[in-house]
Amino acid sequence: MSEFKNETELEQASSGDMRRAPSASAGRNEYLPVPKPTKYKKSVGDRVFTVCNIVFMVLFVVITVYPILNTLALSFNDGIDAVRGGIHIIPRKFSLNNYRSVFAMKNLTTGLFISVARTVLGTLIGLFVNAILAFIVSRKRFLLKKSLTAFWVVTMYVNGGMIPTLLLYKTLHLTSTFWVYVIPGLISAFNMLVMRTFMEGIPDSLEEAAQMDGASYSTVFLKIVSPLCKPMYATIALFIAVGQWNSWFDTMLYNRLSAQYTTLQYELMKLLSSVSSQSSKSDPNSGEGANLQPISVRSAATIVTMAPIVCLYPFLQKYFVAGLTIGGVKE
Amino acid sequence: MRIKAKRLGACALAGTMMLTMLAGCGGSSNDDSSSNTGDSSSTSTSTSTATEAGSTASGDVKEFDMFIAMPGTEINDDNEIQQIIADKTGVKVKETWLTGQTDAEAVGTIIAGGDYPDFINGGDAMMQLYDNDVLVPWDDYLDKYPNLKAFYTDEEWDKFRMDDGHIYWMNVFGNTLGESKTTTHNDEAFWIQAKVLEWDNYPKIETLDEYFDLLERYYAEHPTMEDGTEIIPYTILCEDWRYFCLENAPEFLGGYPNDGSVIVDKENMKIVDYNTTDTAKMYFKKLNEEYNKGIVDPEFGTQTYDEYISKLSTGRVLGMCDQNWDFNFTITDVFKQSGLDQEGCSYIPLGLVAEKGMENRWHTYDDTLNMSSGVAITKDCDDIEAAFQFLDDLCSQEIRDLRFWGVEGVDYEVDENGLFYRTEEQRAKWSDPEYQASHECAYSYMPQYHGTSTDGKNANKPEEQTSEFFDTLPQPVIDVFNAYGATTYPELIGSVVEENGPWFPMYSYSNNMTTDTPGGVAWVKMGETKHEWLPKVVMASDFESTWSDYMDAYEACNPQDFLDEMQEELDRRAGN
Amino acid sequence: MSANKTKLIKPSKVRFSKKEVKRQWPLLAWSLVFFAYGILFNYIPLVGWVMAFQNYKPKTGLLHSKWIGMEKFKFLFADANFLLDIRNTLAMGILNLATTFIMAILFAILLNELKSKGGKRVVQTISYLPHFLSWIIVTGILHDALSASGIVNEILGNLGVTPINFFAEPKYFWGIVAFANVWKETGWNAIIYLAAITSIDPNLYEAAKIDGAGRWGQIRHITLPSLRPTIMILLLMNIGWVLNAGFEVQYILGNGLVKRVSETIDIYTLTWGISQNDYSLGTAAGIFRSAVSIALILISNYVARRTGEDKLF
Repeated sequence: MSEFKNETELEQASSGDMRRAPSASAGRNEYLPVPKPTKYKKSVGDRVFTVCNIVFMVLFVVITVYPILNTLALSFNDGIDAVRGGIHIIPRKFSLNNYRSVFAMKNLTTGLFISVARTVLGTLIGLFVNAILAFIVSRKRFLLKKSLTAFWVVTMYVNGGMIPTLLLYKTLHLTSTFWVYVIPGLISAFNMLVMRTFMEGIPDSLEEAAQMDGASYSTVFLKIVSPLCKPMYATIALFIAVGQWNSWFDTMLYNRLSAQYTTLQYELMKLLSSVSSQSSKSDPNSGEGANLQPISVRSAATIVTMAPIVCLYPFLQKYFVAGLTIGGVKE
Repeated sequence: MRIKAKRLGACALAGTMMLTMLAGCGGSSNDDSSSNTGDSSSTSTSTSTATEAGSTASGDVKEFDMFIAMPGTEINDDNEIQQIIADKTGVKVKETWLTGQTDAEAVGTIIAGGDYPDFINGGDAMMQLYDNDVLVPWDDYLDKYPNLKAFYTDEEWDKFRMDDGHIYWMNVFGNTLGESKTTTHNDEAFWIQAKVLEWDNYPKIETLDEYFDLLERYYAEHPTMEDGTEIIPYTILCEDWRYFCLENAPEFLGGYPNDGSVIVDKENMKIVDYNTTDTAKMYFKKLNEEYNKGIVDPEFGTQTYDEYISKLSTGRVLGMCDQNWDFNFTITDVFKQSGLDQEGCSYIPLGLVAEKGMENRWHTYDDTLNMSSGVAITKDCDDIEAAFQFLDDLCSQEIRDLRFWGVEGVDYEVDENGLFYRTEEQRAKWSDPEYQASHECAYSYMPQYHGTSTDGKNANKPEEQTSEFFDTLPQPVIDVFNAYGATTYPELIGSVVEENGPWFPMYSYSNNMTTDTPGGVAWVKMGETKHEWLPKVVMASDFESTWSDYMDAYEACNPQDFLDEMQEELDRRAGN
Repeated sequence: MSANKTKLIKPSKVRFSKKEVKRQWPLLAWSLVFFAYGILFNYIPLVGWVMAFQNYKPKTGLLHSKWIGMEKFKFLFADANFLLDIRNTLAMGILNLATTFIMAILFAILLNELKSKGGKRVVQTISYLPHFLSWIIVTGILHDALSASGIVNEILGNLGVTPINFFAEPKYFWGIVAFANVWKETGWNAIIYLAAITSIDPNLYEAAKIDGAGRWGQIRHITLPSLRPTIMILLLMNIGWVLNAGFEVQYILGNGLVKRVSETIDIYTLTWGISQNDYSLGTAAGIFRSAVSIALILISNYVARRTGEDKLF
C-alpha cells in the first residue's frame, strides 16, 4: 500500500474519529469529490493488448462453457437416446424425464433442508472462527504466533484416516446427528493462511493508532480489520459454502442410517450410484446385469446441484470483480 | 450492511423452514400399520415343499434394514407392493445400496463403525464380515424354516460351511425350481450381429478362424453403414474390471466351463492356468493378426465403458466377446427405441472353440452355486427369529409372484390356460423407473428362484416366460432362431448339457482371496500385469517378441503361488 | 508496499513478560480454544497411525491387532510399482501446480484488464462453472474430444496430420491431466487472486499512468507486486500437496497401455490397500505421504524465510 494511503488513514484514525471505519476501496477520502479518471490517449501497445486480451477471453469462454452446455444438453435429452453418444450442445431427443427422476427422488425436501441448514450454519460459524484465528495469528506481537501457525499448518498435511476419525466421532457422540456436519470441519488452515496474508497487508499503523486510543483487540478486529477484509471474507465464505453444499461423503459415513439428516448431495449420489457404470460388478448370476438407468440423469443431477450456487453467486461477485466497487464506496 | 442483512435473512429463512419441517413431516419413519390380518394361503400341488406363507401375528409391522454392497435404487417409503408383502408377512425391509465406495470400503466402514444393519450382503467383501464376527450362524435356525431349508439340498448347504463348521449366509441367485425355463444366455460368448449371419445365409460358425473370416468378408462388402458412419468389425472392451472380455476367452475356447480364474482339468483333477495354454497364445495371435489387418477397433485399448456402449448402440460394431449382462440390457433398449433391432443389429451369441468339432461349455446349464457371497443376518438384529421367518416367507410362491410379476390384474394378466402374460402397456409401465420406485418391490438380493412356478405352468421370472420371451424378440432374431432350428439362446449356442462338479465355480474362491496369502498377492500382481500387457500383445507389430516379454512379466508375478492355492481349494472342494 | 518496508527493519523480539501476557490476554485465551479444538479433531485421530505398524483388523481393533513393525513399509518400498507411482504422482503434481498457478494468475490479471464491467461479470461467472462438474463428466468430454473421431483429431486431419490415439501413448498422459486440471479449475482458482486485486488502490494505477506506464507496465509494477503475498502463500501450501496429485482423473483416464505413467499413489493404495481390506497398507502409504509433505514445506518455508518472502510460519 502506498505512503499516500497510510497518511490519510493515519489522519483519520488519529483524529479520534472511530465511527467511520475505512471503506473497502480505502484510500479515498469520501468527502472529497471523486476525481474523474482522466482519459489518456491509447497507445498502439494498449490497443494491441486490448485486442489480444479480448481474443484470449473469447477463446477461454468458448472452451470453458462447452462442458456446461454439453451437460445441459444431455440433461434435457432422453436417457436411452443419450447412450448413443454424439450429443454436443443441443439435445437430440428432448425429454424432461431426467429432471423428473431427480425431483421425484425420495427425501428430496429433507435433503434440501438439511443441505441449506448446514451450508448456512457452517459458513457463518466457519467464517467467524477462521477469521478470529487468522486475526490472532496475524498480530505481530502475538506471543504464540509461530507455534499456533505451525500447529495448524501441519494439520493440512496429516490425516489420521477414515476409520480413526469415524471412531473419534462415535466416541464424541457426533455420529447420527446434524452437528457432525458443522462442528468437526470448522477450522481450516488454508482459510486461516489466506486470511492472514490479507490481514497482514493491512498497515500496522492502524492497529497501533487504535490501541493508543484504548481500543481493545475485539474493536480492532470488528471495526478496523474486518471491514477491510470484505473481499477475502466473501471468498472464504464462498469456499466454505461450496464445500458444505457439495459434501456427501460425511453423510454416508456418519449418518447412513439417519434418514432425517440426509443431505441433497447424498441423495443425488445414491441416485447416481444406481446408474453409475464405474461401480463394482453386480452379481453375474442375478440376472439383473448392468441395467442402467439413463446416464443423462447424471447430467440433470449436476445441473440441479450447480443451480443454487450460480444463483447465490451474483451477490458475492462484487468482491471478485474489480471495477464494480469503484464509484460505489459503501453499499 | 446489506450483506449482513442478507445473511440474517437467510438464517431466518432457514429457521422458519426448520419449524415448518418439524411440524410437517416429522417422524415419518415409523409407520405402524396395524392392518395385519391375513393368513395368505398358498395351495401347492407341485413338487416343492412350499407350505403356507407365515401368518402374521396381529400387531405392528416389523421393520428391518438391509445393506447390499452392490449398486441399486432405493424404493419409496410408501411403495405399494412392499406394503402388500408387509401385510402378508408382517415384515418390511428397508434396503440401502452401495454408493460412491467400493464394496470393500463400504463393508470396512460399517464394521469399523460398529452399527450393523439387520440383513447384509457384502458382495466380494463377505469374508470381512465373517472374519470380524459380525454374522449370526444359521445352523440352529434352518430346521425351523422348511421353505428356507428347501432352497438348497443338504450338500449344497454344506458348501456354505465356513472353517468353524457353521453356515453364515446363502446365495440367493442361480437356483432353479422345477423345470428350467431359461431362455437367455446370460453369460459370456462371442457375439455377432444378426444381419451378418443373414448376409452369409446363416452358416455354422464354430472356430475363431471362421468367425473372423465372416467378419472380414462382410466388412469388405460393407465398410460403412447406410448413413456413412464407419463400421467397426470387432471391438474389445478392456476397461478396469471389465477386461474379462479380453482375458478369459481362452478358457472357453479350450472347451472348459466358466470357472472364471482357472481351468479345472476334470480327468486329472488339476488346476490349469488358461493364461499360458497354447489356446491362449493362438487366440491372442489371431487377435493380433486381425488388428494388423484393421479388423479390430484401433481404440480398443483406451475406450471407456461408456464409449463402448455408445459404439455398440449405434449399430456400427459387428462383433465382440462379452458377457450378456454387461451390455445387452442397455443395447436392447436402445435398439428398440431407434429401430435398429428391426435392421438386424441385435447380437447373437456364438460358442466358439479352438478346433472344429470340439465341445463347448460357454453356457452353464445347471445352477451355479456361488458360495462367496449372499444374504446374511448380523448380530445387531434384535429379532432373529422374525428375520428367518421373513426369509422363509420370501421363498413362497405367492410372495415371489408379487416380487417378480407384480399384482395380478395390474401388472400382469392370466389367460384361459392359467398362463401369465403382460400387455404392451404393462411392460412399458414395469420398466418405468418411477413406477419401479413407487410400486415394484423385488427384494432383489433376497432368496429367489428361476425355473417353473409351483403351479407347474408359469415361469418364476417374467423374462423366462416363453410368451414374454418371444413377443419381445425382433424379427431378424426370430429368423436366426428359425434358421438354426433353436427356440432359446442356450439351444443356439449348443453347449454340452452337463452338470458341473462340486467344486464349480472356482471363481467363488478367487473372488474372496486377499493379500494375506502369497496366492492372493500373486493374483493381484497377475491381474495388473495382464491389464498392462494384453492390449500391447494384441497391438504388437512383432507378436512373438511381445508375447515372450509378456510371459516374462507374467512369470515374475509368481503365478505358481496362486495356482497352488487354487489347487488346495480344488482338492478340498472335490474331496468333500 | 509497507509490508516490504517493515521487513527490512527486524522487529524487536516480543518477550514473554507478565505485562505482555496481560496485554495480549484475549489473543492467548482464544488460542487456547484453537489449540484444544485442533488437538481434539486433528491430532487425536493421528493415533490411528499405529495401524500402519499393525496387522489391523476391525475385529481386533487398534488395541489388539498384531504388531508387525515396519513390514508394510518394507512391502511398499520393495515394490517397484510403488516407486514408479511415486514418480508419476510427483511429476503430475509438479506439472499441475505449475500450469494451474500460471493460468489462474494470468486469467485473473487479464480479466482485470477488461474494460467492460458486464463482460467481466459474464466471463468470470462462466469461468468458475466447470469447477462444479464432476470429474466423471469432464473426463468423459475430454475422452470424447481426444478420441479418433473427436474434434482434436478432426482438426489435425484437416492439417494433414494422421490421427493420434492420445490415450494410448504414455507421452501425452501427463499433459492431458494437466490440461484437464487447468480447464476445470482455472476460473475457480482465480477467485482468490481476483479478490486480492479488488483491494488494490485504484489511485496507484492513476499514478502509474501519469508516470507514463502502459498496460504492461502497470501490471508489472502494481498488480503483480500486490498479488505477491497471496501468490507466495498459495504456492507454499500447494508445494506440500504435490503428492496429492489425484486419483479420480488418473483412474478414469488411465488404461493398461499407459499404466506405467498413469498410476498414482492413491490408485496403488486402492488396489493393494482398501480392496484387500488391508488398512495397514493404506495407512502406511498415508504416513509416507504426510512425511514427504511436511519435509517439503519445511524446506520451502526455510527458503522463503531466507529470501525474505512471505512464509508459512
